Amino acid sequence: MKRFLALILTLSMVLLCVAGCSNQSGGNDDPAGSQGSETPVTENKDPIRIGLSTPITGSQAENGVGTQAAVEIAVEEINAAGGINGRPVELVIQDSKSDPTQAAQIATMFTEDETILAEIGDFASGACMAAAPIYEEAGMVQLSPTASNPDYTLLGEYMFSIFGKTTDEGKFIADYLLKKYLKAENVAVIYVNSDWGVEAYDILSGYCEENGVNIVASETFFEGEKDFNAILTKVRQTNPDTVMLMMSYDSGAVAIKQIRQMDWDVQVAISGLAYSEQLITLAGEDCEGVYSEIGFVIDDSNPEIMEFATEFESRTGFAPNMMMTCAYDAMNMLAKAIENCGDNVTRAAIRDQLFELEGFEGLTGPKVFNEDRTITQRNFKIVTIENGAWKTLTDSDYID
Amino acid sequence: MILEQLMNGLGQGAIYALMSIGYALIFGVVGLVTFVHGDVIMLGAFTAYYSFVLLGGNLLLAILLGFAVSGAMGFFIHRICYNRFFNSPRQISLICTIGMGMFLRNLVQVVAGTESKPIPNLFGSGSVTLAGLRITYMQLFIFAVVMALVLVLTIFLNKTRVGMSLKSVSMDKTASALVGIDTKRTTTVGNMIGCGLAGVAGVLLAMYYGTITPMMGGNIGMKAFCCAVLGGASSVGGAAVGGLLIGVCENLGIMVFSAGMRDTVSFLLLILILLVKPEGLFTRRSR
Repeated sequence: MKRFLALILTLSMVLLCVAGCSNQSGGNDDPAGSQGSETPVTENKDPIRIGLSTPITGSQAENGVGTQAAVEIAVEEINAAGGINGRPVELVIQDSKSDPTQAAQIATMFTEDETILAEIGDFASGACMAAAPIYEEAGMVQLSPTASNPDYTLLGEYMFSIFGKTTDEGKFIADYLLKKYLKAENVAVIYVNSDWGVEAYDILSGYCEENGVNIVASETFFEGEKDFNAILTKVRQTNPDTVMLMMSYDSGAVAIKQIRQMDWDVQVAISGLAYSEQLITLAGEDCEGVYSEIGFVIDDSNPEIMEFATEFESRTGFAPNMMMTCAYDAMNMLAKAIENCGDNVTRAAIRDQLFELEGFEGLTGPKVFNEDRTITQRNFKIVTIENGAWKTLTDSDYID
Repeated sequence: MILEQLMNGLGQGAIYALMSIGYALIFGVVGLVTFVHGDVIMLGAFTAYYSFVLLGGNLLLAILLGFAVSGAMGFFIHRICYNRFFNSPRQISLICTIGMGMFLRNLVQVVAGTESKPIPNLFGSGSVTLAGLRITYMQLFIFAVVMALVLVLTIFLNKTRVGMSLKSVSMDKTASALVGIDTKRTTTVGNMIGCGLAGVAGVLLAMYYGTITPMMGGNIGMKAFCCAVLGGASSVGGAAVGGLLIGVCENLGIMVFSAGMRDTVSFLLLILILLVKPEGLFTRRSR
């Protein structure tokens, strides 16, 4: 019996090690540490330590790994240019799995470490909102690249988000994508049963009621669903002219495939959350002609964006999307705010400087905070998939 | 609409049936508890992916490889989780298999990456229409595989020496050993076949759904468990019918309620049947 117990203990320790290593690898990639010798920032000044909570494993891993790479690129650039007021930036990376419980634990870990001065939060609202009370109590900035739930920044003075709110996006989808562009009259909405999905659907249905677009069916599902046939059969009975999918690319690809497999010739639109190369990779030919909207596209005519995109792709092997580019912007904004703090770099000072930051132009557009520490997003464009690539259909002046 | 949903349900049920056959073999027939089954299915799915990418779109080859790789994994699983704890309480092996599942999931994430991967459906979108209902070739093929497997396994278990010794070991290890059956070797073979079938299920499941991720195992493992228990774990055919039943009930449940209720329906069904007939639907006597 003792031998068995010993074996189980050994096994569980090995497993813990494996789990631990996968987290560690994030930390070890810390560019500030590895790049220290090459960069001019070697004045032996205390590093400025920034926490990054992002899903490196789990169902959102791809976005998380991309977010990590984007922030690391920003940090390396900052350090190569002499750091912030001569102090190098050091990242502390933790894997949140995009899981609210995990995000809250990471928040506790970060806030208890006094050397960490601010945090770049999860890109998903659910995780950010779970962690918010902890950051608020400790007085540490949680800067989320893309948390769009309107309630998120209301959870505390230290909560920031830099890519607009679901309300901005919902209005755009209802008024411009569905009504003006697709001329939809009867829409079936299928949305993911998550904080984000339910909120986004509520907002969308509110605006649709205002502008006269008829929502004939609405169905919800849990993340990870692989079989949409039953839902699709059900909504098809209501004869919609457009199916609006509000979900991420992995569910979206499955749903789109199954719509086409049913021989159902219907207009399909999907929320900007799914805008990614992976949607095309996963859904293949079936996603041709699917519409979407996005507040940011990789624009060949902008050299700064292309420089970032090229560097990003050489590291990760895939193109950056909106979330990842926002994460890059978030790190640069934070750096700017910390620079403005001068010698007095404290958690509270960073918060004040961030809030008052003026004239910051990120890759994803100008960033000026509203009273509620969000940014109003108006740069939406309508996009579609044509010949296996995303194509921009309208410019941001489509909003009248 | 009801007929269409019934068809959807049968399509999905066939997938469940496929997953639960291997489970029933390991859990019911060989008598081993396992919670690594879903991850072995995932392993089969990834084997299919690499087979298609590296060796071209040959379905038969992918199925054979899926069976071989997962079967080999079955050997290791037996070595690590069962062999040493052969005469210990069953929960020790059970916990071991949970750990093994985590290990497999992480291993595949490290080796293959975390992102979802596309799998081509070799049957295309071809379909036949029967009385206004569309049945895809893929669904027909899965049905055929399920039926063939049930038939082959039933014959194997009842007519062959190895099959009969498998059954006898699950009934009484000591007595089996006394009549000259190498119990450890027999259960190893049983576990390898069960895992191999999970691999086959993984290959077809991957093609049916079109995308795979290393994390897909957890939920499908639970579903396979449900179907096997529902059908009466000791009968392979029963597990298959259990799978079909759960598939149909889920889809009818979605029609009446919403897709969010999918798992609620299947687990409620399981609880109900366990209350009324604890030994499962298709078991004549309790062991």
